[in-house]
Amino acid sequence: MELLIIPFALGLISFLVPKNNIRFFGLIGSIIPVILTCIHLMDYIPGTWIELYRCDSEIPFGLTFTLHYDGISLLMLLLTAFSFPLIFLSNYNRDSSQSNLFHALAFFMQTGLFGVFLAGDGVLFYIFWEFTLIPIFLILYWFGNGNYTTLVKFFIYTMLGSLAMLLSLIWLKQHAHSFSYGDLIAANLTEKEGFWIMSGFMLAFAIKIPLFPFHTWQPNTYSTAPMAGTMLLSALMLKMALFGMIKWMIPLAPEGLECMRWIVIILGVLGIIYGGVIAIKQTDIKKIFAYASISHLGLIAAGIMLFSQNALTASMIQLINHSILSIGLFLVAEILISRTGTQDITQMGGIAEKAPKFAFWFMIISFASVSIPFSAGFIGEFLLLREISEFKLSLGILAASTLVFGAVYMFRAYQITMSGHKENTQFTDLTWNEWLVFCVLGILALVFGLAPYLIGDLIKESAQQLTLIVQNNS
Amino acid sequence: MEAIVIIFISALISLFLGIMKKPTLVLLVSIVGLLVGALVQNYEWYFLNEKYHVLDFNDGNIQFLNLAITLTGVIILSGYKHFMEESATIGDFSALMLFSLSGGLCLIGFTDLFMFFLGIEILSIPLYVLAGSKKKSASSSEAALKYFYLGSFATALLLFGIALVYGTVGTFDVEKIGFVSVLFTDQLPSMFFVGVLFMLAAMLFKVGAFPFHFWVADVYQGTPSVFMSYMSSVVKLIGIYAFYRLFGMMFPGVETFWSMLIVIVIFISMFIGNLSALNQDTFKRLMAFSSVTNGAYALMAVLTFSSESEALLVYMIGYSFSVVALMTINSLANNDEDKLVSLSGIGYKNPLIGVVGIVALLSVAGIPPMTGFFGKAMVFYQAFEQHMWLVSFALINSAIGVYIYLKIAMTLLKKEENAPIIALNWSQQIVLSVSLLALLFGWTIIYV
Repeated sequence: MELLIIPFALGLISFLVPKNNIRFFGLIGSIIPVILTCIHLMDYIPGTWIELYRCDSEIPFGLTFTLHYDGISLLMLLLTAFSFPLIFLSNYNRDSSQSNLFHALAFFMQTGLFGVFLAGDGVLFYIFWEFTLIPIFLILYWFGNGNYTTLVKFFIYTMLGSLAMLLSLIWLKQHAHSFSYGDLIAANLTEKEGFWIMSGFMLAFAIKIPLFPFHTWQPNTYSTAPMAGTMLLSALMLKMALFGMIKWMIPLAPEGLECMRWIVIILGVLGIIYGGVIAIKQTDIKKIFAYASISHLGLIAAGIMLFSQNALTASMIQLINHSILSIGLFLVAEILISRTGTQDITQMGGIAEKAPKFAFWFMIISFASVSIPFSAGFIGEFLLLREISEFKLSLGILAASTLVFGAVYMFRAYQITMSGHKENTQFTDLTWNEWLVFCVLGILALVFGLAPYLIGDLIKESAQQLTLIVQNNS
Repeated sequence: MEAIVIIFISALISLFLGIMKKPTLVLLVSIVGLLVGALVQNYEWYFLNEKYHVLDFNDGNIQFLNLAITLTGVIILSGYKHFMEESATIGDFSALMLFSLSGGLCLIGFTDLFMFFLGIEILSIPLYVLAGSKKKSASSSEAALKYFYLGSFATALLLFGIALVYGTVGTFDVEKIGFVSVLFTDQLPSMFFVGVLFMLAAMLFKVGAFPFHFWVADVYQGTPSVFMSYMSSVVKLIGIYAFYRLFGMMFPGVETFWSMLIVIVIFISMFIGNLSALNQDTFKRLMAFSSVTNGAYALMAVLTFSSESEALLVYMIGYSFSVVALMTINSLANNDEDKLVSLSGIGYKNPLIGVVGIVALLSVAGIPPMTGFFGKAMVFYQAFEQHMWLVSFALINSAIGVYIYLKIAMTLLKKEENAPIIALNWSQQIVLSVSLLALLFGWTIIYV
């Protein structure tokens, strides 16, 4: 319970803190959830379900109020908690760091995210899922330069998906005793029902991830959003959808998995190729990273649909890796944009000789992004590709093109912006906070690359349980 | 019963105080009258549990009575400034609102068609006057005239319907008619069905649903803000609840006949309301079409009558407090032209208005964790079992609705540095805070 109350309270306190201290307060405040989640991690025995809160009174309409987590949820909680200090830190010198409103909204967002990962009830999950949309929308609206159409499209699109999910939940409840996680899992469906219920969930998640034909909101939203908003969206909000697939969609309606698997895997593989190809042709730096993100996430989504223990573990490793990368990449984008005053990479160039430190860290992040060995991306992508190839070799080969495309668009972006020589341009090197963020990200990528079992051990048992549930029910 | 008497008396007193030109006292008497009425009625329900000959204020009804009385009180407070500006007629206005409310209370508690008809008349007639209360405005007179003509036509239909039903069954008592319709379903003459159809038409007119929704936009636009929010919250609430009880209790045996009609009505109303609201640029007209849509969602509760009416209650709390909050904000910030654009940036510069505005809009759009979401989810949930396709279309409509309300929210919260800062007086602060609390925590009433 305290995991929900503390970020919310921090959000409320943010309004009271004086304006010149707010960024410091945000940084310190965001450490508290980190400590809390670490305490939970210390006590956690892999494979168990920890119940944080349960309301026993009888509630009408089959609603229950339970907060619980297993290994996968705990990993997501840790990811959320650790991302916020990094986001605040990279935002330390920007305009929005002076705003009480921004910090309050970010903390509300954290409350919602914790709620999504902790929810032990279908409607509760839906409530928190939607709740996260409100702060992020306001952050994009007030602190970005997004135009009206982009934001409305973003909001309506995600909302439409969520409503489909609500419909699925209501439908599922017709077969279950209550909305609680256990009861929903125990519901027996026919294959047809399972398929339709699953497609409702899948629509919500596919729009949020975003999978290939549902991605149109994403590049524009990313390119007009403020840096912190993009980081929140891409490092955390999208992960909600992947988490929802693992923890909610497939265990709840495993009867539809056989039909749905093919659709999502093919869409994922299409997304890998499509995102890669478009990213190669883009000149807007933020859009390159946005399409790269479509490409990466398509692979993770395809991996999740295989739903074996190995595939799930690999997906989670790659998911964590992608969060690390997206914070790093969008910080790179922000540094480039704010110091050159343009989003167009063809107008940049020769930055490496003026800002060697920045060039070094951009290189590291690029390497991690193209998943060279010893970076977390290598382990994740390699395992995922292996799983997909075992499922269907031709799809595996197509999906492996992500390695090629990744190298092309990443190094193209690096080369055009950083190398060469350009007269009369000013480019200040990294400030201390940016340097610190890059350091932390680089170390994390390296650590998870060398020791992926840190993630694997935490979630393996929980993944096993989920696969057993699915096997028994389908 | 006591509530009706007390509110009626306080209306009479405020009428005389209005003649004596004591505006503050008028409002005080009205508010105190509402409070005392509600308290006495609750006391009676809780401790005595009495039942009158044709009125019943127990269980589900008492909650709707409380909601209606609270809303009226809040609306009177929100119109405080408007009343004070025209202090010559203040006694009339508040008295008419209270008269109308006491009719509405009859409509909440009726167990007899006679009381039902009486309630609907007492509820409507003051409204015709209130709609035209801005005497110098042409659109206000137009609204009053339109409302009066169409309203009397609907009443005539209703009366005809009641007569036909009475002619078949021989009783006014709602429960007895219910028994007859269940026991002798096969033997009912077509006269009975014609009666049901006429009553249905009249009720659809009262709640402003397709195909009788044409008056809504014009009447709402012409009516002064305070009375418009009264019409679209309290009157709507009472109308739908009466509809719910009337059809659920009286015609359960012939449900297949009228439920099919209501499904069609809901389906078309949702789309008409939403699609018409899509491109409106005046606030009141937009709210009028939104009330058509929301009325249609609420009608889904009629399809699933049960003795528990919590879903409808929560839905109406969410909707009516949203309307009251939004209309208050609109009347604070907007001039007579009533354009949406003139709200631009108000919420950004005035924190309380901003918070209440966005909460109200999210609630009416059905986004969690506001009361509107819970109401909508519960109503849809109940209807899902029998009317799956209807609920699916309703969810699509919710998405269209999100666009409409998001447009207002974005106008309201626009980052505009030279938007005016509005000074709120105590009554407006109370109204906004009460609405905020109701919209955030109103759904907890299901635990009570």
